[in-house]
Amino acid sequence: MSELRPAWDSLQHVDLISETVNTALLGSGLDIRDIGVVIDCGSDVLDGRSISNCGFLGAMGAHHKEESRVEEDGLFGAMYALNKLAGGSAKVGLIVAYSKPSESIVENYYRTIAEPFYQRPVGLNKAVASGLLASQYLQETGASEEDLASIAAHAWTAASQNPTIVGAEARTAADIEASEYAAAPLRSLALSRPTDGAVAVLVAIESVAKRITPNPVWITGTGSAMESQFFSERTPGRLEAAEVAASSALRRAGRKDAAGFSMAEVSAPSAAEEAMVVEALGLAPRGQAAAAYGGDVDINPSGGSLPADPIMATGLVRLHEAAIRLNGGLEGSTATSALVHGSGGIGSQTHSVFTLEV
Amino acid sequence: MSKSVAIVGAGQTHHARRRTDVTQVGLAREAAIRALQDADLTMDDIDSVIVCTGPVLFAAVNQPEKWLVDALGARLKPVVRVTSGGGTGLAGALAAVNQIKGGFADRVLVVAYDKLSEGALQYSISTLYDPFWGREFAVGIMGFSAAAWRGRMDQLGHTEEAAALVSVKNHKNAHLNEYAHVRKEITVEDVMNSRPLCWPIKLLDVPPISDGACAVVIASEDAAKKADTPAWIRGMAYYSEADNAANRSTVQSEPLEIAARHVYAEAGITNPRRQVDVVEVQEPYTCFELSYYESLGLCEPGGAAALIESGATEMSGDIPVNPSGGCMGANPIGATALIRLAEVAQQVRGRSGEHQIENAKVGLMQAGGGWANLRGVAAVSSEKG
Repeated sequence: MSELRPAWDSLQHVDLISETVNTALLGSGLDIRDIGVVIDCGSDVLDGRSISNCGFLGAMGAHHKEESRVEEDGLFGAMYALNKLAGGSAKVGLIVAYSKPSESIVENYYRTIAEPFYQRPVGLNKAVASGLLASQYLQETGASEEDLASIAAHAWTAASQNPTIVGAEARTAADIEASEYAAAPLRSLALSRPTDGAVAVLVAIESVAKRITPNPVWITGTGSAMESQFFSERTPGRLEAAEVAASSALRRAGRKDAAGFSMAEVSAPSAAEEAMVVEALGLAPRGQAAAAYGGDVDINPSGGSLPADPIMATGLVRLHEAAIRLNGGLEGSTATSALVHGSGGIGSQTHSVFTLEV
Repeated sequence: MSKSVAIVGAGQTHHARRRTDVTQVGLAREAAIRALQDADLTMDDIDSVIVCTGPVLFAAVNQPEKWLVDALGARLKPVVRVTSGGGTGLAGALAAVNQIKGGFADRVLVVAYDKLSEGALQYSISTLYDPFWGREFAVGIMGFSAAAWRGRMDQLGHTEEAAALVSVKNHKNAHLNEYAHVRKEITVEDVMNSRPLCWPIKLLDVPPISDGACAVVIASEDAAKKADTPAWIRGMAYYSEADNAANRSTVQSEPLEIAARHVYAEAGITNPRRQVDVVEVQEPYTCFELSYYESLGLCEPGGAAALIESGATEMSGDIPVNPSGGCMGANPIGATALIRLAEVAQQVRGRSGEHQIENAKVGLMQAGGGWANLRGVAAVSSEKG
């Protein structure tokens, strides 16, 4: 994984991608010839380039390989690669997710996701969509603005200890509440900060994984679901699609609920949606997500997506952050299982959940 | 393939230059409903949805699957979009096959569309190229394609007339296809006398620009056994070639040859000319159909001009190519690859109507995109194998 920076102005996309892919392969015992499928998660809109993956095939090592672009958060790309492996059509898969929002007008990226007839003309964008969800969340559950501030403060403080995140300062709830409203009740520091970055993940079938590493991290369940784009169709105060994605993943993992997981890494464009995801995963009762931090399940030890949101890569970064805490890649971590979550769209429209175990 | 997977339903829209009667999602929904009706299923039977479109710049809606989810009735199902240039419909079908073989889903709806009347097509395509090294001279896709064709003329001695025969054949076939956008018979003289756009490419060597959608339902072996006449997917692959490098062959397509080898090995095809009953290829320009004949092994390298001149690829020939009319009949780019797959599936299911090839049992399709560097192949059969 590259550092996540507000702007990677010294590297082009191809540089970020090739460095990240090389890092993923380094020490794995595998080289690019072993990769059976390459899945790419980037955005033509952010890259300012049609079929932008075409320009990055060499950097990804995809020459004369099967490659597909899943134009969604990288965790959805990982799901594609896993299906390919589970079906017996490949032994090793490489997933690459990246973006350089510093080179793009991020506002347009979100505005053009809103469908053009009813939602776009009223000005729905990332902040407005998240603000609407946040106010519904507070109204429906009785959670408070202080709860949102405490979740955001946890995120920034954890990120300040994370060496891969550049420019994240530790903040208190008071700091969050002192920042201006971006879309009430959301303060600007409670919205995710777009960063440049790339992440690459290798997945392998069991027999290969056991041969190449003493510490494989097993993906035991996956689930995904998409919500309606229309807010009028959604249930206020909850993220039903995240609930469906989580229950599918837990069912496939043979688990009844989230009890017993060591940690969770979740993605959200705002502190309110982070709270709603935590509740959708079953890590806290409704309206009480803020109190779950520091509890039995370590939530977003990396800092999560609020301090560093490399759009398109954010969920795959969560997978990476969880994996290094499970495979001994991060000193001091004792985690043995994780819930990983990725999302996409405006107002957290689509969700993907993985369960990891060692 | 270790686990069998089949196409159990397919549908497409009436394609047109401008479908002003529907929105993008209305267009996609029209195809999805036809595919579900053809499969005798409803959305309740569908576990997962794959959406495919060309580059989103084509129609100026970012992540359009997030709009489509409501029109498709797919709320709270897994919905993801796969985009891989003009061949994206096949890349999406391959994603569906992987979801089924991987045990993630039993039935997947693949929906592919483009509404090209709503965007600036060649402008969007021009942004394909590297902003520093490629964009200033590589305008659209036509310059590159003309150079590729010229290379084949110089090295193989193929003539403009041979490529014109592709246009004549496909236009003639499209006449029988009720969904085609262009249904007008033409002659070799018409093609030769049509306006040069980027020589040797002339107006009638180029397919139309269309609004259109296609959908297929892909099912696991168990689910397919409950269906009438499944079209079994005997092999499917989609390969890429990196970079617009000087050492790329413009005469033959290496990723297409790799994809074809892979699919033939899976499907047990050793002599495609004899073993395949019907072929659909995605021909963005006439000359490409000729080069595909060679890369797919329908004739020897360099033999494509002789093959079309022999009439073998006509509907009445021994290896009919594009009985639907191919892209010449309709070219909604993001949907065209899935249309090719749907067409061969309907052929082996005996559901192709006026352009049915009699007793078609094995169908082969090709798809492609990018700067001619993304290439896919699939084989379908009425037999599970």
